[in-house]
Formats: sequence, C-alpha cells, structure tokens
Amino acid sequence: MIGFLIDMLLRANDLALLAVGLSLVYSLVSFPNVAHVQYAASGAFAAWAIADRGVPLWLAIVLSMALTSIAAVVLHRAIFDRLIRSGPPVAMIGSLAVAMIAVSGFLAIFGSRPRRLPLAMEAPTMVAGAPVTPLALWTLSGTALLLAGLTMLLYFTPFGRALRALAANRTLTAACGIDPKRLADAVCALSGAFAALGGIIIAASKQTYVLLGSDLLLPVFAAAIVGGLRNPLGAFGGALIIAFGETLMTNLDVGAALGRQSWFLPLGYLPAASFSLIAIILLWRPEGLFTRKTRSV
Amino acid sequence: MLEVRGLSRHFGGVAALRHVDLRVRAGEIVALVGPNGSGKTTLLNVLSGFLPAGAGTIAFAGRVIAGLPAARIARLGLIRTFQLPAMPCGMSVLELMLCGGMPMTGTSIWNNVAHPRASKQETRREIDRAFGLLERMQLGPSANQSAGLLSGGQKKLLSFAMALMMRPKFLLLDEPTSGVNPKLHADLAVQIHLLRDEGAGFLIVEHNMEFVRQVCERCVVLDKGQVVANCSPAELQSDARVVEAYLGRPLPARGAGGLESVAL
Amino acid sequence: MFEFAIHVVIVALIYGLSAISLNLQAGVAGLLNFGQVAFFGMGAYALAIAAKAGLPWPVGILAGMAVASLAGAGIGLLGRNLAAEYWAISTLALAEIVRLIALNEDWLSGGPQGLGGFPIPFDGVEGVRRGLAILGLCLFVLIASLGLAIYLTRSQFGRVLRLVRDQPALARSLGHDLMSLKLRMLMISAPIAAISGSLYAGYIGYIGPDQLLPFETFLVWTMIVIGGSGNHLGAVLGAVIVEFLYAGSPLIKEYVDISYDLAASLRILLVGAGLLAFLMLRTQGLIPERPARLDARG
Repeated sequence: MIGFLIDMLLRANDLALLAVGLSLVYSLVSFPNVAHVQYAASGAFAAWAIADRGVPLWLAIVLSMALTSIAAVVLHRAIFDRLIRSGPPVAMIGSLAVAMIAVSGFLAIFGSRPRRLPLAMEAPTMVAGAPVTPLALWTLSGTALLLAGLTMLLYFTPFGRALRALAANRTLTAACGIDPKRLADAVCALSGAFAALGGIIIAASKQTYVLLGSDLLLPVFAAAIVGGLRNPLGAFGGALIIAFGETLMTNLDVGAALGRQSWFLPLGYLPAASFSLIAIILLWRPEGLFTRKTRSV
Repeated sequence: MLEVRGLSRHFGGVAALRHVDLRVRAGEIVALVGPNGSGKTTLLNVLSGFLPAGAGTIAFAGRVIAGLPAARIARLGLIRTFQLPAMPCGMSVLELMLCGGMPMTGTSIWNNVAHPRASKQETRREIDRAFGLLERMQLGPSANQSAGLLSGGQKKLLSFAMALMMRPKFLLLDEPTSGVNPKLHADLAVQIHLLRDEGAGFLIVEHNMEFVRQVCERCVVLDKGQVVANCSPAELQSDARVVEAYLGRPLPARGAGGLESVAL
Repeated sequence: MFEFAIHVVIVALIYGLSAISLNLQAGVAGLLNFGQVAFFGMGAYALAIAAKAGLPWPVGILAGMAVASLAGAGIGLLGRNLAAEYWAISTLALAEIVRLIALNEDWLSGGPQGLGGFPIPFDGVEGVRRGLAILGLCLFVLIASLGLAIYLTRSQFGRVLRLVRDQPALARSLGHDLMSLKLRMLMISAPIAAISGSLYAGYIGYIGPDQLLPFETFLVWTMIVIGGSGNHLGAVLGAVIVEFLYAGSPLIKEYVDISYDLAASLRILLVGAGLLAFLMLRTQGLIPERPARLDARG
C-alpha cells in the first residue's frame, strides 16, 4: 500500500510541474500550447549540456531553468502572441509547429543517443517498508516546495490576484491597472522554469532523450484537462489522478480480483490510462473536475 | 402565436428577466423597447433558445418551445436576427442567403449527391428568390461579394434578408434599423408589413422611435427585466412609467420631447 | 531514379487523399482533428488483415472505410459538448489508443512487427509496371475523391458547414443542427482517409504501428495549411509539395556528408518551419479559399 502510494507520488511528481505550468499559460493565452512539454526536454538537455562542461549540477539546473524561461518568453512574444490573433485553432497548430522545430533542434544538437545527468547512484533507503532513493525524496520535496510557493503567489499577492482575475475575465485585469504584457511575460517565464525543472526531474530518474517532451504531451495534457485547464492547483490534482490511474494499472492484479490466476493488465497499454482518463473525464465533466465555471457552446 | 408566461432568467445573482408575460398574435407587430441593459436582448436570446430559460413557459404556435435547442426553434419558423451580425469573409452574400433557404434539398448529403438534378433545380429557384430579396435590400450588386466586407448596415440588411429566406412564421428582430441607411428604413417597413399581411408575427427590439411609430402596432416596455408598460406607440411618450424607465425619474411637466431625445 | 520518382508521386497522391479528408473536416467544417492518422491506420490494417485472411483487396478497402466512418461518428459524438481545443486533444489521445492497439494486439495486427507478406494488388505485375498500375489506381481514386469533396463543399451541405465553421451562432439561428452536420462530415470524410491507408498498405505491402505516430497527422496538417485550408485543390498541392520536400531532403546526404540524425532532424525541421512560416506569413495558404460565384442562372 505504501509502495503504491510512493509509486503514485513519484509519477505525479513527473507530471505536476508541467501540468501546473500548462494550466497557468492556458489561463493567459486561452489555447492549449502543445509546445509547452518541449520546455521539459529543453530544460533537461540544457542542464545536461551545462553540467557536461564541468559546472556543478545545482548551478546547471538553475541556469537551465533561467534559459528555458527566457526561451518561453521569447517564443510567446515572437510567435504565440501573434498567432493568437488569428484565433485559438491557428495558435494551437502553430504551437505544434514550434514543437516539431524544437524536436528537430534537439535531434540536430544532441543526436538520438539518450543522455544521463551526472548523478551518483545511491542505495535506496526504506520508508515504511518501501524502497525510496534519496534522489526521489529530494525531487519530491522540491516539487512540494515549489507548488506551495506557487499557491502563496496565486492567493496572497497582487500578482496572483491579477492572474486569477485574468483567467476569469480579460478586461477585468486591464481595469485592475496591471499591464497584461508584463503579466504575460511573468507567467511565461514561470511556466518555462517549472517545465524545465519538471524535465530535469524526469531526466534525473531516467534519462534525457529527444522525445522526452513529446512522450509527456498526453499525460501532461490529461492532468491539466482533468484539473480544468484554467486552474493551476487543479492541474496538480489532475496530476495525482493521472498518476493514480497509471499506478493502479500497473499494480492491479485483475486475475486475483476475479478469483483466478494472477493476471495484470498488459503494460503496453499503460499510456492508454491517461488517454482514456481524458475521454472519460471530458464526457462526464466537459470543463474538468476542479472548475466551477460552465460554458455552453 | 407567441406566448410567454412568467419568464425569469438570472445571471449569477443578477435577475435579467423577472416574470415577463408577453403575447404576440399572428399578424401582429410588437415593439420591444426599454433602456440599455433592461433585458431586451436577453429576452430575444431566451425566446430563440440561445439562452436556456430560467423559469416560466414559452409557447409558439401552440407548442411549448422552452428548452428546445435553438436550431429546432428556428426550424419551427421562429427566426431571430442579431444586433451586430458577424458575417464570414470566406462566403459570398448569395451563398449566405442560400444557407437560409433550400428547404427541399437541405443539408442532406444524400439529397445533395444522389439527386444532383433536383438539388440543382432547387438551387436555381432559391438563387432567384435570394436575388429578389437582395434587390429589395439594395444588396443586389454585392450578391457575389464576400459577406465579411459589407458595411455594418449592409450586414444588418443581409441578416434580415437571410431570415426572410427561411420563410419565417415569426421574426425576432434585434434593432433592424441601427446602422442602416435611413433612406432604406421605409423599404424595411414595407418588407415587414408585407410579411405581416401573410400572417407572420413580429417582436422588434428598436431604439428608433420614428420607425416604431411607423411600423409597430403595440409597444412592450422593459425595464430592469420587467414589463412596465404595454401600450400603443403614440401613448409611449406620455406614459409616466416609460419615461421613468428611460430617465430614471418622472418627466417634468413640459411634456413629450424629452423621451424622444433620450431614446434616439 | 525513375522508379524513385514514381514512388514519390504515389506516396504524394496517397497523402493527397488524407489531405482531402482532413481538409473536409478542418478546412470546411472547422474540426480540429489531431487524430487523422487513426483513420489512415484503420484503412491500412483493414486491407492487410483482410488480405491475410484471403479476401480480395476491395473487401479490405470497404471494411476499412466502414470502420473509419464508424470511428468518425464515435469521436464526433465525444465532441458533443466539448470546446474545440479539448476535442483536438481528445482526438490525439484516441489516435494514440488506436496505435497502442496496433502495437499490442499481436493476434490481430502483428504487434510491433506489423503486418506484411500478404497478397497485394497487382501482385503479378513486375517492377515499374506495377508502380504505374498503382499510380493509375491512386490517381483515379484521388480525382474521384477530389471531385466528391469539391462537389460536397459547394453543395448546400458544404455551404452550411462553412457557415458553421465561421459563424456558428448565425448557422444556429438559421435552423442548422451543428452537431449533426459535423458528425455527418466526419462520417463521410473518414473513409477517404481510410482509402489512403488501404492504398498505402496495398502499395508497400506492409503496415506497422510506426506508421500511426502522431507526426503523420501533423504532416497532413502541414499539407493543408501550406496548400490552403478550405481549398481541396490546395490540399492536394500541399500534399505534393510537402511529400516532395520530405522525400527529397535525404538526398542532401548524397552531396553533403551529414549524420543520420542530422538528416532526420532536417526533415522534421522542414515540416515544422514550413507550417509555422505559412501560419505566420500566409495563413490562407498557396491557393486560398474563395467565395463561390453563383449566378442567377444557377
């Protein structure tokens, strides 16, 4: 049971920072930015490349987050901000194009060989009878800290109030006396940094590879959609739900439950867990679970 | 023909419509007037099914239509126009007119593909009819032009003409004259009267009192979501409640002129 | 070289069919389908499975069309009360589920190895002549589909759908049921993509899960954006251009010594950059959609 919980938390940890960032940006730009998950890959690659030059890992991580947030702001200003004027569908296809260009860039610069961050392998410690690596503890607490910080930012600062006002009503923010352009920059930078760290967390426990971002696309979107896409903290809840679904799929002994031989769901269908969750949740609650606003189209 | 009883509609905690009762007979032209924000457009949206009704009943031609989808209501012959109609740039004026027509072929793929001749004949007939209507709205020369490039007033006329393509039994018009060249107001009035003579009913949201006097037989005045008066256009200016609705206070003794200047 | 040229043309025509299908959905009806490749896959696997079972290949094609049409109805129903972007993500997810099925159900789809070695159309014909025969078949199907697509788009059905795409509220006020229209568009356009899949599997003689990656959908999107969204001739032109660039880019390796990774990267870059450039600089594409001219004479 504890092992199950830890597996679930670790998977949620992979998705949470990305899903939260995606939700943050969505409340700002009102289109699902497909390229968002590529920030995870770029963050992981940048951290690897910087650390590879002998820079201490913590510094490499900070630099990579900074670089990725700059990239996010530049991309928003140069491309997405202009595309959104032609409507959300055009912007969404445009973000797809940016994602493709990003993948081709990773492939050209880093090649198809996976890379590993310079981390020493450490023996897992036992937590309540389940093995946990010190690294996992580090990343889990890091994510928790960041999400707590974000919650404070959203609910206890003028910036957060403006942002939540923007998510609810665009004209309202202008009335609040906050420059939407600066707000957009701040949100893009924040989500870029979050995504980069999310990518680094995944790269730390597995490896860095070209399709790191693309493979995250559907689970991260599933988490954000389940959470309601405009609600960053809902996205965190969404990440937990997706992680729960996936972990359940790997651990649930269907055969035993039916009183027969031990039989597990085929692992090949693991990615389908999040996909099916998207479909089910959207059919049941078209606007996601953690949102009160209803829209009639 | 159109009967509304006890209709209410809230947005959050704000009541947009409060116990609205309204009755329009076939062949009757009723103006819906009231200050901005009094709920006129909300009423039109609820009647046409674009917004769900909160409480109350709406009956049209003897059947309850509250709760039906907008498209179903339109197919019953209750057609609405928009205050600021947006027109697609990728379609010509004539194409849009056909979107309101073609009752036989319709959008059935089977009819379109398997009966090319019948659908072609109907298209020809409907194009002729559309041209006739466009001519009367002075839109004939723009027939093959992109509808998105029309002026605001022309879009208004086009949306009226599109509604006529539907052979409506009842029309809900949202400010048909706003933005339209005043020289064409008389033509609009003629069209409305022609249709009325065929038995159609009208509920017209209108700010232009001159037009209301010319066209409408009865005025329903809405204020803060409530019907405050139901009178003839001539009585409108002398009715104290109406004046209060517009000005927020009773009119000084001097008489009518005040309302005219505010309403226009 | 001649054989390679025929090969590229055939693949371009096959993609052209997919592009027409997506253009009917996205360009005409405004449906953001990011799972187009699933329809292609259904057609391809249907042909392969039917051929393995010893059935004649037209049976496989028809089965694929039927399955794709039903699947189109299914994803359409899923969109009953979804905003366009949510629906787009859902279609991407459903296409991935189709790919996972192809990857995991060995008994049906051959699993990761895919299906091959089944009887293919024009099997007895040798070399270039088989290529030409397939090319003729593809050209015939493409022209027929193009004619159908153009006719449908100009008919009342297409006309109203274009209104639904641009001004849904106006369409509703004219009594048009948006859901039913979009559903029917999906059901009639999905089979066209299924044919393209069948032709692909029949021509190559192989189909595997790697041909169902989301990138294939994005490739088709690039084709219609470059060609001109809403214009079917444009969609075919886009398919030809993108396929020529895509197939031609590895030829650079003949002249410049670049690694395999770099060549692959170049291909993706070409598609992504082309798509982005057109979206930003010429959203209407090479052949823009124009309002149809109608005369009083019909």
